[in-house]
Amino acid sequence: MGTWEGLVTGLNFALQPGVLIFCLLGVLLGTFVGVLPGIGAMAAISLLLPITYYISAEAALIMLAGVYYGAQYGGAVASILMRLPGTPQSAVTALDGYPMARDGRAGAALFAAMVSSFAGSIIGIVVLVLLAGWLSRVAVAFGAADYAAMMVLGLVAASTIGSARPAKGFAMIVLGMLLGCIGTDVNSGAMRFTFGQTELLDGVNLVALAMGLFGVAEVIGNVRDPERQAVTEKIGFRQMAPTRDDLRRMVFPSLRGSGLGSFFGALPGTGSTLSSFLSYAMERRIARRPERFGHGAIEGVAGPEAANNSAAITAFVPTLTLGIPGDPIMALMLGALVIHGVQPGPMMLEARPEMFWGLVASFGIGNLLLLILNLPLIGVWVALLRIPFRWLYPAILIFICLGVYSVRGLTYDIVAVAGIGLAGYLLALARFNPALLLLGFVLGPLIETNLRRALLISRGDPMVFLERPISAAFVVAIAGLLLLSLVQWVRRRRRAIPAR
Amino acid sequence: MQRDWTDIFGGLALALIGAGAAGWASLHYDLGSLRQMGPGAFPVGLGLLLAVIGLIVAVPALRRAGEAVPVEPWSALAVLASILVFGFGLRSLGLVIAAYLGVLVASLPAPRRGVTWRLMLAGVVTLLTVLVFRTGLQMSLPLWPVWI
Amino acid sequence: MTTHIPRRAAFGCVLAFAAAPAFAQDAWPTGPLHVYVGFPAGSSPDTLARIITEPLAERLGQPVVIENRPGAGGVIGIQQMLANAGDDDLTFGTTINGPVTTAARMMGDTGFDVAADIAPVTLIATSPLVLAVSSQSGLEDLEGFVAAAGAEEEAIAYGSVGQGSGAHLTAELFADEAGVTMLHIPFTSYAEVTTSIMGGEIDAGFMAPSAAMPHVEGGNMRILGITSSEPSAQAPDVPVIAGQAGFAEDFRAELWNGFIAPSGTDAAVVERLTTEITEILADPGVQEQLLAIGWQAAPGTAQEMQERITADTQMWGGVIDRIEAQ
Repeated sequence: MGTWEGLVTGLNFALQPGVLIFCLLGVLLGTFVGVLPGIGAMAAISLLLPITYYISAEAALIMLAGVYYGAQYGGAVASILMRLPGTPQSAVTALDGYPMARDGRAGAALFAAMVSSFAGSIIGIVVLVLLAGWLSRVAVAFGAADYAAMMVLGLVAASTIGSARPAKGFAMIVLGMLLGCIGTDVNSGAMRFTFGQTELLDGVNLVALAMGLFGVAEVIGNVRDPERQAVTEKIGFRQMAPTRDDLRRMVFPSLRGSGLGSFFGALPGTGSTLSSFLSYAMERRIARRPERFGHGAIEGVAGPEAANNSAAITAFVPTLTLGIPGDPIMALMLGALVIHGVQPGPMMLEARPEMFWGLVASFGIGNLLLLILNLPLIGVWVALLRIPFRWLYPAILIFICLGVYSVRGLTYDIVAVAGIGLAGYLLALARFNPALLLLGFVLGPLIETNLRRALLISRGDPMVFLERPISAAFVVAIAGLLLLSLVQWVRRRRRAIPAR
Repeated sequence: MQRDWTDIFGGLALALIGAGAAGWASLHYDLGSLRQMGPGAFPVGLGLLLAVIGLIVAVPALRRAGEAVPVEPWSALAVLASILVFGFGLRSLGLVIAAYLGVLVASLPAPRRGVTWRLMLAGVVTLLTVLVFRTGLQMSLPLWPVWI
Repeated sequence: MTTHIPRRAAFGCVLAFAAAPAFAQDAWPTGPLHVYVGFPAGSSPDTLARIITEPLAERLGQPVVIENRPGAGGVIGIQQMLANAGDDDLTFGTTINGPVTTAARMMGDTGFDVAADIAPVTLIATSPLVLAVSSQSGLEDLEGFVAAAGAEEEAIAYGSVGQGSGAHLTAELFADEAGVTMLHIPFTSYAEVTTSIMGGEIDAGFMAPSAAMPHVEGGNMRILGITSSEPSAQAPDVPVIAGQAGFAEDFRAELWNGFIAPSGTDAAVVERLTTEITEILADPGVQEQLLAIGWQAAPGTAQEMQERITADTQMWGGVIDRIEAQ
C-alpha cells in the first residue's frame, strides 16, 4: 500500500464515529491525568487497560495512544502553572514556563506550549510517515557504545542550562547520576546504596523525585509568600494572548525542537527527555541574549514542547515497524495488542494495514482535537491562578502524594516524597537547578549501563567508541562542544582581565 | 562582611555527600576492570567528582559577598508533616480521614487566621480527592479506617 | 537504549463483579478478594492474573481486586501480600518462579521465608525459553551453535533480561551442560535483547517464545531450540534442546507462574481455590488466552507446586553456585 493510499485508508478508518469517540476519550483523559501532579500516561494507560478488552484492537490502540500524547499537553499545563512536572521533559518546560506564569504571562506560555506541541506532533507524523523505514534501521544500528556516547553528548550539551555558575549545574548533574546509582546494578546484580530496603531495589521512584524536588519544594517556599496570596487584578485577554513578538520568537524554536524530537524519539530509550533538554540547551546557546532564559523566555517553552511531542509520535517507529517497544509505555500498548491476539512485529504493517495507518491518522486527528479543546481552556487554567494559594497548596500536596502512590502503591514512596521535598527546598534556597539533577538521574544509569555493556561486548577495548561510526560522530561532537566552551571561557577571561 | 554562606554550605554539603558515597562504594562494591567494570566503579568516580565540584562551588564563595536567604522552617515543617500524616494515615485511617488531617496540618502556616476556613477547606479538598482518585481514577484505596 | 527501571503505574482495578451470590450459604468469601501481583499492570504476569481472576470472581460470587505492587523482580508483591493479609482469608497473590526460588539466594534477604510464610495453592502456567540468534548469523542449528560456542572461551556473547533472571540462569545451565563458557551481557528487557541481536552486537539470547516468534516470522531471527521437554504450542516447529547436541534427555528449564496464599490461610479455602483454578484452566478459551501472552496452562495440586518450588530452588541454586564460583 502506498503512502497516500494508506493515509486515505487511515483517515477513513479513524474518522468512523466508533473510533473517533475513543480517540476523543483518550486525549481528554490524557490531558486530565497529565494535569494531575504525578499521574502520567503510564498510570492512565494501566487504568484503561481493562476497558480495552471490550473494544477492537485498533480502537484500543488509538485510545491508549491518545492518552499517551494527550498527557504531554496536560503535563505542560501543570508545569507552567504550578511548577509540578511529573516527567523530566515537563521539568524543562517549567524552566521558563513557570517564570512566565509568575510574570502574569501564563496565557502566553500555555499558548506557546500548545501550539508548538501541535506543530511538533504534525512534524513528527510527517517524519513517521516518510522516514519510518530509515529511522527503524537507525534504531537497530545503535549499539551500546553509540547510546553511551549519545547520552554523554546530551549531558554535556545540557550542563550549561540555567545557572549563573556552571559548577553548580555540573554538581546537580553529578548528584543526579549518583542518585541514579541507587538500586540494583543492571550489569552485576549488586544492590547499591539500598541499605536493606527492598523498596529501593528498582531505584528511587522518578515520580517521587520529580514531585519532591519541584512540587513540594515550591510549595514550602511559597506558603507564606505575600505575592502568592491573592492575584486580585483581573487577567484580561491582552495579558493572556501572546504578542506578535512572542509568535515570532516561537516559530524557529518549534521547528528546531521538532527536528530534534523526531530523530531522538525514534531511538528506543529516552529520546523524549534527551530531545527536550537538547532543544532547550540549543535555544539558549544560539539566543542573542541567553541571560533571558530561566526568567521567562518563550523560546524555552516552545522548543522543548515541540521536541517532546514530536518525540512522542516517532517513539512509535520501533514499536510499529519492528515490534520492539522503546519504553515501558510502549511495551504496555503492545501488551494491549497482544491481548487482542494481534502479534506486534515487523509483519504488522502488512497484516493489519488499517491498524498502522489508522493509528497514524488518529495522531493527526487527536492532536487537532487537543489543540481545539485546549486553546479555549487556557482561560480556565489561568483562572486557577486566581485561587488564593492558601487554598490551593494543601490540595496540591494531597494530589502529589496520591500521584506518587499511584505508581507502585507503596506508602514508602509518599514518605520518600517528604524527604526529597526537604532536600529540594534546601537546593532551591541555595539556587541549585533541580532540572539538571533530574536529567542526571535519568541519563546517568543509561550512560553507566551502556558504557559498561559496550566495554563488555568489545571484550575490554575502549577503541570501540571511535571504531563505530555513530559513536565516533558523537565523540567528535562532544569534543567540539567542549572546545567551544573552552574558547568562550578564555575569551571571557581575556575581556575580564583588562577590566580589572 | 556577609559571606556567600549558601554556596559555602551548599558546596560543602555536596562535597561531603560525594566523598561519603565514594567511600561507602569503595568499601562495599567491587571496582572491577576496564573490561568488566564492577558495581563500584561509577559510584566511586561520581562521588569523587561530586566532592571536587562541591569544593569548587564552596571555596570561591569564601571570599565573596552573598545575600541572606529567607528560610521558612515552619512552612517546611508543616508541609512535611502533612505529607507524612497523609502517607501513614492512608492505609490505616482511610482516604477520607487521612486527606482531611493532611490538609489541616498543611494549612497551619498559611498567613491567615481562623479555624473555620481551614476546616471547610479540608472538607472541600477531601471531597475533591475522593471524587478524582476514587471515583474517577478508580484507584484501589480504602475510604474509611480498617476497623469500620 | 534502556528503560532501565520500569517505573510503571499500578492500579488495582475491580475486575469483575459478582453476577449472582451463588455461594451465599458458604461463609467464605466474606468480601472481595485481593490478589497481589508483583508486576505492573499490563505486564505478562499481570495479564495472566487477570485472565484467571475474572472467571474466579464469577465462581466465588465476590469481586477480585488485582493489587499491582511491582518491584524487585516480583519480591515486593509477595511482601505486600504478607503485610496486608488479615485473618479473613481474602488476601492472595500470584508469583513467577523467581521470588520463591532464587530471590533469597540473589538478594540475601527478601523479607519473607518461602517455606514458613507462603502456602502454595496451584501452579497456573509454565513458559519455556527459546534460544534465538540473528538470521544474519551463520548459526544454523544447535550442533553448530555448541560448536561455535566451544571454539574458544566466550566466543559467543548472549543477552539476558538481567543478572539472575530466568534467561540468565537458563543460559548458564545450558552452557554448563554443553561444556562451554559464554559471555553474559545483561539487559533489562527482551526488547533490548532483540534489538541487540538484530543489530549484530550480541550473538544470541534465551528469550520468551512470545518475544522471539514475531521476529522469526519477520525473517530477522532464527530459533535453534526450546527448553521445554516437549515442543511448545507457541513454537511448534522448534526442536527441543533435550536429547540434541549432547544434551541430556531430561534437560528442561521452564519459568512458571503460580497462585499463592499467606501460610495460615484456612486449608479448606486453599483447597477450594485449587479446585476452582484447576477448573478454570481446563477451559480451552482460557488456555488460548494464556497462550497468546506466552503461557502454557499447567494446573496442579498445592503439593505439586510445593515440589516444584523445592526442586527448582535446588536446581537454580546449583547454577548460581557455579556462576559465583567463576
